[in-house]
Amino acid sequence: MLVSRLAAAMIVLFASAAACASGDKSFERQVPAQARGVVDISNVSGTVVVTGWDRPEVSVRAELDEGVERVDVSTDHGRTSIKVILPHHSGHGGDADLRVQVPKDSEVTVSAVSADVSTAGVAGVQRLNAVSGNITAELAGSDLELKTVSGDVKLKGHGQPARLHVSSVSGNVRLEHGAGDLEAGTVSGSLVVSLDSARSVRARSTSGDVHFEGKLTRGADFDATSVSGDLKVRASAEGGYAYEVSTFSGNITNCFNATPSEPGHMPGHLLQGTRGDGAGHVRLKTMSGDVQLCDRN
Amino acid sequence: MSGTRGADERKVSSLRELSPAIEPARDLWPQIEARINAERSTAAAALPRIARAVPPRWLAAAAVVASVAMGVWIGRSLLPAARPGAQSPNSASRATSADAPTALDVAYVSDPRYQRDRAALMKTLQARLAALPPPARAKVMASLAAIQRAKQDLENALGKDPGNALLQELLVNTYQDEMRVLTDVHEASDAGRGI
Repeated sequence: MLVSRLAAAMIVLFASAAACASGDKSFERQVPAQARGVVDISNVSGTVVVTGWDRPEVSVRAELDEGVERVDVSTDHGRTSIKVILPHHSGHGGDADLRVQVPKDSEVTVSAVSADVSTAGVAGVQRLNAVSGNITAELAGSDLELKTVSGDVKLKGHGQPARLHVSSVSGNVRLEHGAGDLEAGTVSGSLVVSLDSARSVRARSTSGDVHFEGKLTRGADFDATSVSGDLKVRASAEGGYAYEVSTFSGNITNCFNATPSEPGHMPGHLLQGTRGDGAGHVRLKTMSGDVQLCDRN
Repeated sequence: MSGTRGADERKVSSLRELSPAIEPARDLWPQIEARINAERSTAAAALPRIARAVPPRWLAAAAVVASVAMGVWIGRSLLPAARPGAQSPNSASRATSADAPTALDVAYVSDPRYQRDRAALMKTLQARLAALPPPARAKVMASLAAIQRAKQDLENALGKDPGNALLQELLVNTYQDEMRVLTDVHEASDAGRGI
């Protein structure tokens, strides 16, 4: 018994010594918060993991490497602010791994540079920004505004309608089981979207491919444009939809046996028609990208 | 009373009969000055609120895009080279050159606000890119190159078909995307602040 206690004490001692030697620090703090308050989180490098819970408090746990000065946590009138502070002129060196638990209906804003961001169980509005960090988020029926420069984006919804605004420069964007209104743009990243029920979709890319699969609500609007990226759309719609596909030098294929026409003497192809009652509208445009329009299986 | 009115109502047959200057019964300036000073101090007190109400950068970018869109509309509606089937001999000859400016270019180039904002963003681009993490910098540069290629391809295609509404729309989108990327990079390079 004495030997095992001694061994346990030695292990704790060695672990502490190792932590001290590496310069890592742990940080932990809980602060009271409103059920529908606002939580702002900023971190330059490392990770940010946000989860929603039922308690009226915000819990912050962090592992900080030696390049991090401290973590500031403050609350004021329902707004909780969590900031990882780096020493001045430290560049992007200091990693901080943050685990933040927030009241599930909180409005969450995360700003990261190269830190990876993930959220789960947050039912309030989410505003997630990163430069090169990847973003993974669970959607729960509230609006999402997401912006990334080069990080990849993975979003998973549960089919609850929301307004989703996603923009990326070179990161790839993947959205599963979204619903509601989507506005998404990317320059060179790909955009792969599946929506359980879409009211309006506006997708735009420069050279990235856009793949959409999903169901459109009655009277829905779907617009997708790309310069050189391919557009691939598999859609079903309550009440059908009228479609207009145009491309300057790309190819148009479809699963309806419809034949694209060449408008006048100008280069380019045009495919127009109606599925079902034509209640919704689908417009797909590219310069040189190929376009495929099919019914959703 | 009636006598006074009678004097006031005396007919004036020439402007020369009027007095060149009529002095007010009392000096009004102290009151006016006090009022101006009071308004100044009120305005100064309200300044922080006004400052907070200044639209964010994206709103400014949206305004630029809107003015660019207006330029495009002017280009499409008013400039002869942009109208389908209305090519002037000059524009027709220009259309044979891939590098020839299109009506859309003219509309863009002629928008001073767009030019000014883009020039300001381009001026600091190198410094802003240098502030990004290296992998992000490489990816962003690749994206900017993709935008440049897209613009070039669209302009070349418009050189062949200046009135093509599809190409014009895609070129507008590409100009907008370029501004968005430049703005995002500008904001993203402020380390610790995120985008």
